Amino acid sequence: MIAQVLAQAFESPTIDYHALAPEIVLVSFAALLILLDVVLLEKGRTFISALAGIGLLATMLPILTLAIDGTDRVMFGGAYVVDDFSLVMKAMFVLSGYVVVLLSTNYIAEGDYWENEYYGLLLASLTGMVMISSARDLISIFVALELLSIPVYMMATWRKRDIRSNEAGLKYYLMGVFASAVMLYGMSMLYGTAGSTLLVDIGEAVGGEETTSIVTLAVIFTIIGFAFKVSAVPFHYWAPDTYEGAPTPVTAYLSVASKAAGFVALLQLVMVGFYARDDVYEPVLWILAAASMTVGNLLALRQENVVRMMAYSGVAQAGFMLAPLAVAGKIGDDAVVATVTYLLIYAAMNLGAFAVIIALARKTGSATLDSFNGAFHYAPGLTVVMTMFLFSLAGIPPFGGWFAKFAVLAALIDANTAAGVVLAVVAAVNSVIALYYYGGLARRMWAEEAPDGDLTPVRVPVSLVAALGLAAGLTLLFGVFPNLVSEVSDVSLISTLGG
Amino acid sequence: MSSWPWLQSGRIGDPQTPSLGSLAVSDFLRSYLTVAIFGAVALLLAGGILSLGRLIRPSHGNAEKLLTYESGVDPTGDMWSQSNIRYYVFALLFVMFDVEAVFLFPWATRLEAYGVFGLVEMGIFILILLLGLVYAWRKGMLRWV
Amino acid sequence: MFIAAALIILSGAMGVIVARNPVHSALFLVQTLFGVAALFVLQEAHFLAAVQVIVYAGAIVILFLFVIMLLGVDKVEDLNVEPIAGQRPLAVVIGAAGIGLMLTVLVIATDVISGAHSSTGPLGESDIDEIAKSIFGDYVFAFQLTGVLLTIAVVGAVVLARRAATDPEPIPESAYDELVAAQIAARESTLTAEGGDGTAQDGEETTDDGEDSADDGEAET
Repeated sequence: MIAQVLAQAFESPTIDYHALAPEIVLVSFAALLILLDVVLLEKGRTFISALAGIGLLATMLPILTLAIDGTDRVMFGGAYVVDDFSLVMKAMFVLSGYVVVLLSTNYIAEGDYWENEYYGLLLASLTGMVMISSARDLISIFVALELLSIPVYMMATWRKRDIRSNEAGLKYYLMGVFASAVMLYGMSMLYGTAGSTLLVDIGEAVGGEETTSIVTLAVIFTIIGFAFKVSAVPFHYWAPDTYEGAPTPVTAYLSVASKAAGFVALLQLVMVGFYARDDVYEPVLWILAAASMTVGNLLALRQENVVRMMAYSGVAQAGFMLAPLAVAGKIGDDAVVATVTYLLIYAAMNLGAFAVIIALARKTGSATLDSFNGAFHYAPGLTVVMTMFLFSLAGIPPFGGWFAKFAVLAALIDANTAAGVVLAVVAAVNSVIALYYYGGLARRMWAEEAPDGDLTPVRVPVSLVAALGLAAGLTLLFGVFPNLVSEVSDVSLISTLGG
Repeated sequence: MSSWPWLQSGRIGDPQTPSLGSLAVSDFLRSYLTVAIFGAVALLLAGGILSLGRLIRPSHGNAEKLLTYESGVDPTGDMWSQSNIRYYVFALLFVMFDVEAVFLFPWATRLEAYGVFGLVEMGIFILILLLGLVYAWRKGMLRWV
Repeated sequence: MFIAAALIILSGAMGVIVARNPVHSALFLVQTLFGVAALFVLQEAHFLAAVQVIVYAGAIVILFLFVIMLLGVDKVEDLNVEPIAGQRPLAVVIGAAGIGLMLTVLVIATDVISGAHSSTGPLGESDIDEIAKSIFGDYVFAFQLTGVLLTIAVVGAVVLARRAATDPEPIPESAYDELVAAQIAARESTLTAEGGDGTAQDGEETTDDGEDSADDGEAET
């Protein structure tokens, strides 16, 4: 009898398989890679990276069909939403994942690492990212966040026999789980207040006239948890050591995809969950943004190692991406547009810069700034491309970076508040500081003499060339035709959810 | 049973037990009183027998007698020695299937309510987890060399 | 009852931090987790209480103990070495500030923490059915990905723990000490050269893992 009552009470949720197709394809390919490894063991190594690449391209298909279809799909009572925002981010994650596969192909194969598992973990991590861009509910966000993080903890320590890689993985893991704990604490308070894990419901519950202390704490803790993820100051200190010790393709992945995933979750939480509480999140994000830009840039000036420099520059760039959110209460969806614009362009140029670092390290075997001296004399092509990426990161037209910085500054000025203008000034000053070290690296590559006069050319494998071409093409395209980006990044988080 | 009224008030987890109001709550807690009594009895028994033994046994300790008994072989080294990494993988596999069991219970208690949908979903879930087990097996982690 | 459970949890948590022997810390953790199970009982979530004891106190703490034994409890860490000058006093200040913040919130909070039922009201049915409805309902997708997560944890653990026949010898343990010594020396030289740098560039938390492979305990589920 009870069973019958229950059977009536339980209705299986309607599942829109088209909307879930990207995740399903990715998971299937991840499982396939592991399964092939189980069957073939080492024999599968020759084609496994190609298969991972195919898997990612196959994932693009449903994303494209969903984009063409264009309707917003809402599932699971609002916990899972496929809209423009999520599709743009999904496409970005999958494309960056594809570039990372290209970067990894030779690096992982030549290092005699565990290739099969590497790509399996990479795809699983990407599944988490693809999921997080649609997750509009605390539980989904958390599961996706763990799914994307845990494989990366392991990939950071992939060079098992290198003590620095061990340090990288351990440090990232400890910081990551600590951040998760802080974030969960905040989330538990949110759930306690709202009685629901849906971001929309939380938005209603926390958006009263006056804030309560518990809501304030919850918002701050949740934001701090994600600040670790995006390595914003003062929660950045794991980044340089982890970036330096991890295998360089994994570093590229960390600095682009993993950081972007943190931003995606943060955007959804702030714009949907906390939107009405701008008196709480704006000051917090303001401090994080200003501190990240300044401290990141100042520390980047002093680095002797390119990867560490890129780590600190990444911290500073994260500050730029946080900045529009610090005035989100005034400009609404424009903040989302600015941050998404920055994320897209940053992904292209940063992946490109890491591709050059990996290519040059094949010859020099190190990543100190000195080892880049005189690169123009033996690798002119790479030097030209690297200069382009560096100038783009610094924000010099006509490369993509200028438009990213422009979008952020415009958003800050649009807010028309003292806080926004001050932050815009901080951002502008920091752009100048950043120019100094990006320019310094470019100068070394062009003007200095190569160490010990070794001018043998660098052999760049095909996959790296493809990655470089993709990143360079996009960086240039975004810079020359900024309309393209604004077309894509014209997304909204508020309107699609009606609240 | 009639002399133990608090034992009757509601089976643990019985869905028909009223759960509103403070009276019902104390009903629930009363059913846990059984647990508490069992615990107390266990403690008393163990403590009582041990202290009884202490009272009546002779005690002439020497170094030989105080040694840890290890299959008749004299133990060597410190007891806090480093253990093998293999144990860890077994422990992790155990945790994994422990968690799986946790997810299985809610499904199994009302199997028919969730119908084909529940069966399919649970099948996928178990298959995914099996992949992990097969992987560890194939990589030779289950073999104790 | 709530106060008793809270006392069990808090004293256990204090024990975890204060205990000198990591194994004792793990045992105090069992006490804390048991207290949480008692809280679940108070909320009429009997299934969750059982799960809490079986999975956390039973399985996860065992995993912790394995890792502790793996790293070797017999090794004594020299706690007097301070990798970054001023690190510990700073930690104390920040920790005190955090506690102060929490206490302030507790004091000014209008809704006093009482251990009363959660704001969503009683469960209605037994929690085991509610959980099943959730995992086959709105959270079915998250549930499946949790399965992927568990599998990935096993794959990763195997990769990190297994030594293939072709693998070279593991890093000798002394390499860790050398690395740390080199890093401390490098930092001191920059400090003297730059006239002091307050920012923690290299937060050195751990110098103690002797095994190269057990670094990532994927114990969170």
